[in-house]
Amino acid sequence: MPIHEKSLIRPENLREQDELVIDGVDVSGHWSTFIETRAVTDYNEAMQDEIAALAGGENIHRCWQCGSCTNACTVHAVNPDFNPRYWIYLIRLGMEDELVRDKDIIWQCVSCNKCTDACPRDVVPEAVMKATAHWLELKGHVDKKPSTHFDEGFSAQVIETGKIEDGLVVRDFFKRMGDPFRPFKEPYLVAMITGIAKRAPIGYLLKMGLALVVRPRTRGWAPARKGIEEYIREVDAKDRKALGLPAEGGH
Amino acid sequence: MSQPVLIVGGGPAGLSAAQALAAVNQKSVLIEKEDRLGGAPILSGYAKLVPSHEWASDAIGGMVARVEGNPHIEVRTGATVKAFSGGPGDFVATLSDGSKVEAGSAILATGFTHFDSVNKPEWGFGTYPDVVTTTQVEQMISSGGGIKCPSDGRVPDRVAILLCVGSRDRQIGREWCSKICCTVSANIAMEIREMSPETNVYIYYMDIRTFGLYEGEYYWGSQENHKVKYVKARIAEVTSDGKRLLVKGEDTLVKRPISIPFDMVVHAVGMDPNVDNMTLSAIFDVELNRWGYVGRQNAYATLAETSRPGVFVAGAASGPETIDDSIAQGHAAAMAAMGFAMSGVKDAAE
Ligand SMILES: Cc1cc2nc3c(=O)[nH]c(=O)nc-3n(C[C@H](O)[C@H](O)[C@H](O)COP(=O)(O)OP(=O)(O)OC[C@H]3O[C@@H](n4cnc5c(N)ncnc54)[C@H](O)[C@@H]3O)c2cc1C
Ligand code: SF4
Ligand code: SF4
Ligand code: SF4
Repeated sequence: MPIHEKSLIRPENLREQDELVIDGVDVSGHWSTFIETRAVTDYNEAMQDEIAALAGGENIHRCWQCGSCTNACTVHAVNPDFNPRYWIYLIRLGMEDELVRDKDIIWQCVSCNKCTDACPRDVVPEAVMKATAHWLELKGHVDKKPSTHFDEGFSAQVIETGKIEDGLVVRDFFKRMGDPFRPFKEPYLVAMITGIAKRAPIGYLLKMGLALVVRPRTRGWAPARKGIEEYIREVDAKDRKALGLPAEGGH
Repeated sequence: MSQPVLIVGGGPAGLSAAQALAAVNQKSVLIEKEDRLGGAPILSGYAKLVPSHEWASDAIGGMVARVEGNPHIEVRTGATVKAFSGGPGDFVATLSDGSKVEAGSAILATGFTHFDSVNKPEWGFGTYPDVVTTTQVEQMISSGGGIKCPSDGRVPDRVAILLCVGSRDRQIGREWCSKICCTVSANIAMEIREMSPETNVYIYYMDIRTFGLYEGEYYWGSQENHKVKYVKARIAEVTSDGKRLLVKGEDTLVKRPISIPFDMVVHAVGMDPNVDNMTLSAIFDVELNRWGYVGRQNAYATLAETSRPGVFVAGAASGPETIDDSIAQGHAAAMAAMGFAMSGVKDAAE
């Protein structure tokens, strides 16, 4: 095969053999590149059920592949590789490798729900995207995104104290990210912090600073916290069980 | 004086015509070549029917019982028409046993022939025992035997239903859509999932034609309630790896070739013109349409007219039809045929 056409093949499908002789012909090395077949050779039947077991994935089996979601999608408009219709199909048929290949785009859904409005079968693709991102994470295909760290810190604080203190959220986020400089690589976060600093009245900033020292709490919150924690544990255990993962771990 | 109406074919269309005529005290003679009445649903042992979910043996069996017990209907099974002469109002039919039947008019309700899957050898029927037809699956269900691979009796993990086998295919001169096989396949898929929840069912389609009210119940229902999966692909080839069947084609929605193992492959066979149609056309002097079904003269006046005055057609004899439509057409043909039978040649011809 002429070398230039190799660019059309996915690199992981190109194979070169260090030492291979077939019927007396030496086919080793660069000049005898093999191409792995693209054929789908099996369906993973568990996959649709796994996604359907996670919150938001329940209606995935209704999809009839009309493409309305993709066509309506905010993110698809800027990145044509972002294609909820396609991923839903891969999940329904259990083409796992294919789905995992897009793991770094799937989480980019902005939850605008334009797809949900467009879908004629009430699949709620936005929720399916959430369930899929969650699945990728639970299965260990992706690291936690900065936004996930942020969400988790935010939620943890609400659960813990029944309150939100912006300063604490940011501080906690830095801690969760491990690397103190990493958050500054997240433009949205930089915008948020400078936004607060610019617009907030002095009194508010002082209050925020104080909150870092004296942690305010909602009075009588403890029973609510217990209830929420219990619920989260239950859901997490259920999700992990549905995916055939060991019970521990999670958030 | 009123002559009887000759009805050829004792399937849903013929039974319905006889029943309709009897309801207004019009006599008929029903000729059926097999040894019992009921047509395809009974002769081929269909299971639960679309859209009623009634067992064919109950639903069509009920029609048979009503006809057999009716004094206005003379049933002649194991018989065919060998010659047909005369004109509207005074036809004479000569049957295979040599007897003659006088009739004022005639209705051809001779139905269809199941497509023989051997004519699509690339899809493995006749080569691999676990490649079967929808008719065979209907029989597995109606006999109570359950869904089992014919080769070794195991319950299949995975079943593929291939749509449009013997329909919509220029290669083999069959340009028509057989109308009912999408819905029947969705129905069968649901029945398989109910009988054996461990079995996964995949339907390979080009288009889904669960027309009208069948959409929600069968197409949506099979996905939403029974998790049946639909893959847009026309299968190129069914082979075997020695253990399981291999279904090859292109999944057109992901632009990928597929080569997937299955335990059982089901052909959704179409409705061919009755193999007797050339003979029937010669005997009754009626024209066939370009696909080989008995031709209809018009679409908007008397629905049932053939090219020969006094001879009418109903049901799948004139093209792929559902049972409901065959029954309705049986009634329509009865109405048209009755005019000739009651008033004789002159009035009717005018
Ligand atoms: C697998 C399968 C499943 C189906 N399931 C459904 C379903 O669930 N619901 C539905 O609505 N439809 C269904 N159909 C379609 C249904 O079978 C037809 O609509 C129906 O059988 C048509 O009735 P008919 O009376 O016109 O013809 P037929 O049922 O074909 O009856 C014709 C009769 O005429 C007889 N005959 C033929 N030639 C001669 C001759 N020369 N002389 C004398 N007698 C003759 C035959 O022996 C037969 O008894 C299904 C079809 C298939 C292939
Ligand atoms: S919710 Fe997500 S998938 Fe749906 S349209 Fe918005 S960005 Fe696209
Ligand atoms: S809009 Fe709904 S039915 Fe259509 S492809 Fe998207 S999820 Fe599937
Ligand atoms: S009804 Fe469906 S399976 Fe049957 S011929 Fe038409 S499209 Fe094909």
